[in-house]
Amino acid sequence: MSRQALSNVKVLEFSDFVSGPYCGKLLSNTGAQVIKVEKPGLGDKARSWGPFPQNLPHTEKSGLFLFLNTNKSGITLNVETAAGLKIFKELLKWADVLIEDHSVKEMKALGLSYPEVKEINPSLVMTSITPFGQTGPFKNYKGNDLISSHAGTEAFGNPDEGVKDPAVSPPLKVPNHAADFMSGLTAAACTLGALVGRGKTGRGQHIDLSRQEAVASITRQQLAYYSVMEENPSREFGRKKFGGFLYPCQDGYVVIWIGPHYHLVVKMMGDPEWSKEEMFANPLLRNNYIVELNQLITAWTMEHTSGEINDLALAHGVPCSLVRSVKDLVGDEQLAFRDFWREIDHAVAGKIKYPGAPFRLSATPAAIEHPAPLLGEHNEMVLCDMLHYSREQLVRMRQGGII
Amino acid sequence: MQKLPLEGIRVLDFCQMWAGPHATEWLSVMGAEVIKVETNLRIDYMRTVGAPPGLAGTGPNVGSAFASLNWGKKSISINMTTPKGQELAKKLIKICDVVSENFGGGVLDRWGLSYENMKLIKPDIIYYAGSGYGRSGPHKERPAYAEIVDAFTGATFSNGYPGGEPNVIGVSPWTDGAQAIHGAVAMLTALYHHMSTGEGQYIDAAMIEGHANFLGEMVMGYIINSSIGERIGNRDAVMAPHGCYPCKMTGDEDEWVALAVASQQEWELLCRLMGNPDWTNKEEFSDELSRWDNQEELDKYLAGWTRQYDAYELTGILQKAGIAATPSFSTKQLTHDKHLAARGFFKKPNHPVLGNKVLAGLPIRFSDYSEGNYQTPPLLGQHNDYVFGELLGLSREEIHKLTEEKILG
Repeated sequence: MSRQALSNVKVLEFSDFVSGPYCGKLLSNTGAQVIKVEKPGLGDKARSWGPFPQNLPHTEKSGLFLFLNTNKSGITLNVETAAGLKIFKELLKWADVLIEDHSVKEMKALGLSYPEVKEINPSLVMTSITPFGQTGPFKNYKGNDLISSHAGTEAFGNPDEGVKDPAVSPPLKVPNHAADFMSGLTAAACTLGALVGRGKTGRGQHIDLSRQEAVASITRQQLAYYSVMEENPSREFGRKKFGGFLYPCQDGYVVIWIGPHYHLVVKMMGDPEWSKEEMFANPLLRNNYIVELNQLITAWTMEHTSGEINDLALAHGVPCSLVRSVKDLVGDEQLAFRDFWREIDHAVAGKIKYPGAPFRLSATPAAIEHPAPLLGEHNEMVLCDMLHYSREQLVRMRQGGII
Repeated sequence: MQKLPLEGIRVLDFCQMWAGPHATEWLSVMGAEVIKVETNLRIDYMRTVGAPPGLAGTGPNVGSAFASLNWGKKSISINMTTPKGQELAKKLIKICDVVSENFGGGVLDRWGLSYENMKLIKPDIIYYAGSGYGRSGPHKERPAYAEIVDAFTGATFSNGYPGGEPNVIGVSPWTDGAQAIHGAVAMLTALYHHMSTGEGQYIDAAMIEGHANFLGEMVMGYIINSSIGERIGNRDAVMAPHGCYPCKMTGDEDEWVALAVASQQEWELLCRLMGNPDWTNKEEFSDELSRWDNQEELDKYLAGWTRQYDAYELTGILQKAGIAATPSFSTKQLTHDKHLAARGFFKKPNHPVLGNKVLAGLPIRFSDYSEGNYQTPPLLGQHNDYVFGELLGLSREEIHKLTEEKILG
């Protein structure tokens, strides 16, 4: 195996479900050695989430867990026991990075607040992921993916076109744990920034990652509109003025992005008479008459199938896509051509195809080749080989509920 | 002492629109010197988007969208279609660590700046190429925007109210956001490797591949169970109540609270907060599974209670009791939110056109660095004198001549 970009980086992952694990995955993809700490018993919440083959729940067969934890080692540890906490602190000395998603109060109660951790390992990068951050009036507030989506205004702007009746259609969460993924991704970027900075100074760092801010940051364009244009957008249908719109057709939907491509779009439709109307003469006017314009385009899309429209759009260079399901993504020819998918054999779940790396590095390509750890799979490796506890002690730790 | 982690790193940034500029904005705010290569002949579209009232169409410095995506960068204006312009770019590449671009197709190749050529100029350069579908394969030339990629990947399909139709994800740059930060992660990973080994590399970042990771849960659902998923809106697979509920209007717009009840204990707490009304004793709401099965009815009852409060007040009551909740913020409400204000999330750009109307900062908070490089987002060509004069050592006369010849500008 060729040398990997992060192969000398050691990460302790003390976090659950999606965000922290996605942050850890982005580091482990490119060679970081990640030890994942799970609570004894059920382990990471993602192990209980699924999807499970044939909908039969199994600790070692959850698709979400298997995906998020490739290339990692895993131990079980109850940090609420004195011995467990001691072992955790030994691992803190080993680590370059700690990723954690516990509340400010919990970390303090464990004696693992940043000043305390810094005492143990001054050069550690500690990445703390919390719903609203480590400071401010909401710092102790609880959250989850729903809360982040709404607290960051993402839900307010969803659906993009607006809704027919805002009074009965509430702001809408973005699907698929999107806010949790965004929080984990954002945490990874901060962590890597601190690691690059540390390379020059040897200095450790505490990263205060607020899920609310990670999501709000992505809405920066809309936040600027309110601040600068002094426009307070409504949630009503018609709010969206430009960008990509959804058009119904005979057998489903397509999305078309008009923007600077108006002339290509109308050419694709056979240059209808209405397209030369004064009201559509320039981008500003088209934004003002976007509802009318979209009605005219819809009249055309309704006469065609999504496949016909997609073919025409591609031939004319119009940005367009069918509204596809994940089935089409998994079977997509572009991803197949680029050899995107990775097949990994897991001791219990068997051979499964996984998404490959989110970006490609030519000199240090990601190697996503080891399956997610079984619960406690690396207890012996970490506790005995690395930290030099004896097998007898290992047994006592299990008997005492420490691992 | 370093004030920021990326001090001393220089980036030549050809990125335009949203995802590319936001990726390099991450590096900029972390302290890298990011030099944005632009031209008056074809300005970054975002320079026109989100102008203050009455200023739309009045030049390249009115776009609040652009300002919000380009904190702390420097801007130079070169006509890259001219040989002299290309020579200047080559001189700059020599003194840069990273070159970034997100053009549709091989624009840099046409300018003689392919990765192979660039390596001749600067052997250890890091080259970031961002695109919708990647720089190889049958779809490599397809034009891509966030909403198009969302439709392509299945994100649009899964976005919507229970039982409803698919919807374009709002806000629309969501997928650009994911692409941008995956891009920042990619460049930082390459920078870390460069720091350890002195080796540069080429980064091919495709939105569809980043997104196939972001949608990992759904992708695994299809791979494992042939399931294409369903639209569940604000609901959760397990918890109920779990949603967004109307509140009392205190200002000029509707208010909502989002809340998630995670256990039977939290449900009982909620009942107590509501004063244990009769409906909470119904058999349909007596346990976790029953509440989930009957959540439509449950939501109606709950909305009757939430309507009596304003969103902040109710959030405080619920969180105090230990139930996860938040106001569902509009952009206006978030801009005035006291929590984000206390954390200094919004920054003043001190901009000649936009003034000090606040813009979102980045979610980067280090304990031992300064808060970030939030220098005024650049006016078009603002840093020609600094970059060509101080960095490349051209004289005033030479810069003047290049401007006269329309090589700069």
